[in-house]
Amino acid sequence: MDVIVTGTENYGNEAYKKLFEDVMSEMGKAVSLEKAIIVLDPEQPLFIFSVMLRNRPESKKIADAVSIRTEGSEVHITISDENYAPEILSALWKAYGRDRVDQQTRFDIKIDNADEETIANIEIASGEDSKREILGALWRTIPEGIKARHNISEGRVITIAATEEIVTQHVKDEALRIHNEIKGDADV
Amino acid sequence: MLKMRRYAYTTRSKVMRMYEVMMYDGGIYRSNELLEMIEDVGGVVIQKTRSAQMFNVTMSIPGEDKEAMEKMCTDIGGMVRSVPLAGTEIAIVGPTLGRHHMPHPICDIAEILRESGSITVVMGLARGRGKATSQISMQEIDIINEYDAAIFMLGNFKSCVEAKSHLFDKISIPVILVTGPMPEGLDDLCEAIIPGVGRKSERMRTPEERKKLDDIAEKVDDVVRIKRKMLEEDPLFVHPAEIKQLLEEYEPIKESLRPAPIVLHLDGLRLKIPMKDNADAISNMTVYGRRLGDIARISESRINDSSMMIRIMTLSEVNDIDSAKKSA
Repeated sequence: MDVIVTGTENYGNEAYKKLFEDVMSEMGKAVSLEKAIIVLDPEQPLFIFSVMLRNRPESKKIADAVSIRTEGSEVHITISDENYAPEILSALWKAYGRDRVDQQTRFDIKIDNADEETIANIEIASGEDSKREILGALWRTIPEGIKARHNISEGRVITIAATEEIVTQHVKDEALRIHNEIKGDADV
Repeated sequence: MLKMRRYAYTTRSKVMRMYEVMMYDGGIYRSNELLEMIEDVGGVVIQKTRSAQMFNVTMSIPGEDKEAMEKMCTDIGGMVRSVPLAGTEIAIVGPTLGRHHMPHPICDIAEILRESGSITVVMGLARGRGKATSQISMQEIDIINEYDAAIFMLGNFKSCVEAKSHLFDKISIPVILVTGPMPEGLDDLCEAIIPGVGRKSERMRTPEERKKLDDIAEKVDDVVRIKRKMLEEDPLFVHPAEIKQLLEEYEPIKESLRPAPIVLHLDGLRLKIPMKDNADAISNMTVYGRRLGDIARISESRINDSSMMIRIMTLSEVNDIDSAKKSA
C-alpha cells in the first residue's frame, strides 16, 4: 500500500501515516488498498482521506468460495475460501433450515433435496459490506471531533473530507480534487 | 497504637519525621515478623496483598528505619521495591472514551503509574474531542480535582493541543500534559509537558516507547514529590495512613465488597462507602482526642453518592480554629 501524506505539521503527518497503516492492518484492510492520499490541515481544520482499492468491491456468491457437485438429490459443497465459511453456513441454514444442512467436516457440507444452481447463486457478501468496512476503518482514523463529513464513492475509490465547520463548496472541491488525483487515469 | 500517638505528638510539636514508602515483595514466610517491625518503628501498612504463597506489603515507615526495614525484608527472603507513587490516586484523562483515544496510550500510562505504586483512574470527558467544539463541564473539573494529580492526554497536532488548553486551565491539582508535538505557550497552565506520545492505535511496547512511559512515571513522581514537599511545610494534622488504620476497623468498610474501599491521597482519603449513611459515624471518630470531623473536611465525592472524600486539615488550620475558639 502506497500512502502519501501532505499537511501543515510534520509531526502530525508522520503520526497519522503510522496511525492509518496501523488501523488498516489491524482491521485487515491493508491488503485491500492499492494507495491512499491523506491531506491534514488542522488549522482550518480540514482532513481528507482518499483510498483506492485493489479491486472493485463486488458481491460474492457461494460459487466463488466453494466447489460444488450434485449426487442424486444431495448437493455437496467443499469450501475453498475459509474466510467465508461462517457466511456460507449461515446462508445455507437460512435458506434450507438446519435439518437439511449437514456439516460433515470443517470444509464439507451436504444439503438434502437442493438445487445446485440455486445454492451457487446465494449471496454471501455484498460489495456494500466491503465498502462499509473500509469506511469504518477510515472513520476510525479521522480525528474523532471532526464530525462534519462529505463522502465521495466511485468504483474502487473512496474519499472522505472532514471538517469541524460547515461543509462549504471549497471543502467539496478539495475532496473532489484529491479524489480525481488518486484516481488518475486508472479505470475505476 | 502507642507508636502512633508518639508520632502525633512529634507532629504537633513540629518535629517532623520524614516517612519513606516502600514495597516488600516476597513470600508469606516470616511475614508476621515484618508486620510487627512495621508497627514497632511506628510505620503503617498502606496496602497488603496475599496471593497463595506470595505476599506484597506497601508500607510507609520513618526514614531513619529504612535501612533496618530493608535488611528485614531481605533476611526473610523477599526483596524491596521502590514505589514512589504509593499513597497517591492519579487520574489519566482523555478527550473521550471513544476508541480513537482508548485503550492506547492512556491505559499504557495508567499501567506504568500502577507499577510505581499509584492507584490510577482512567477517565474520558463527555465532550473533549474536536478543536473548536471541545468542552469540559464544571462537574468534570470537580471530579478531576478530587485526585492528587491528573495526566491529560492530547493528540498529534500542535495547533489542536494549543487550542484545547481550556480543558485543563481551570484544574487546581497538578496537571501533566502528554502530547504528540511540543505545544507552545502552555508552560504556565500545567506542571509538566511530555511530548512524543500522541494518538496511538496499538500498545506502547518498543524500547523507545517503554522509555517514554518511564519518563512519564518519573515526571509524575517529580510533580508528586513537589506536592509532598509543600505539604511538609505545613504538615497535615495526622497522616492519612493513620486514618486508614482507624477506618479499617469500621464495620461498613470491612463489609464493603469494592476492591479498594479506602484509597490514600496525599492530603486525605477516598472512602468507597455512601456519605449519607456514614458521615456522622466517621465525623465522630476520635483521632488523638479530637473528632475526625473537627480536623478534616468530609464531603461527598462528585463522582456519585457511593463514595466520600476526607481532606485532612493542616496543623496551622487546626491551630487557627483552636485559637478562634479560645478567643470566642
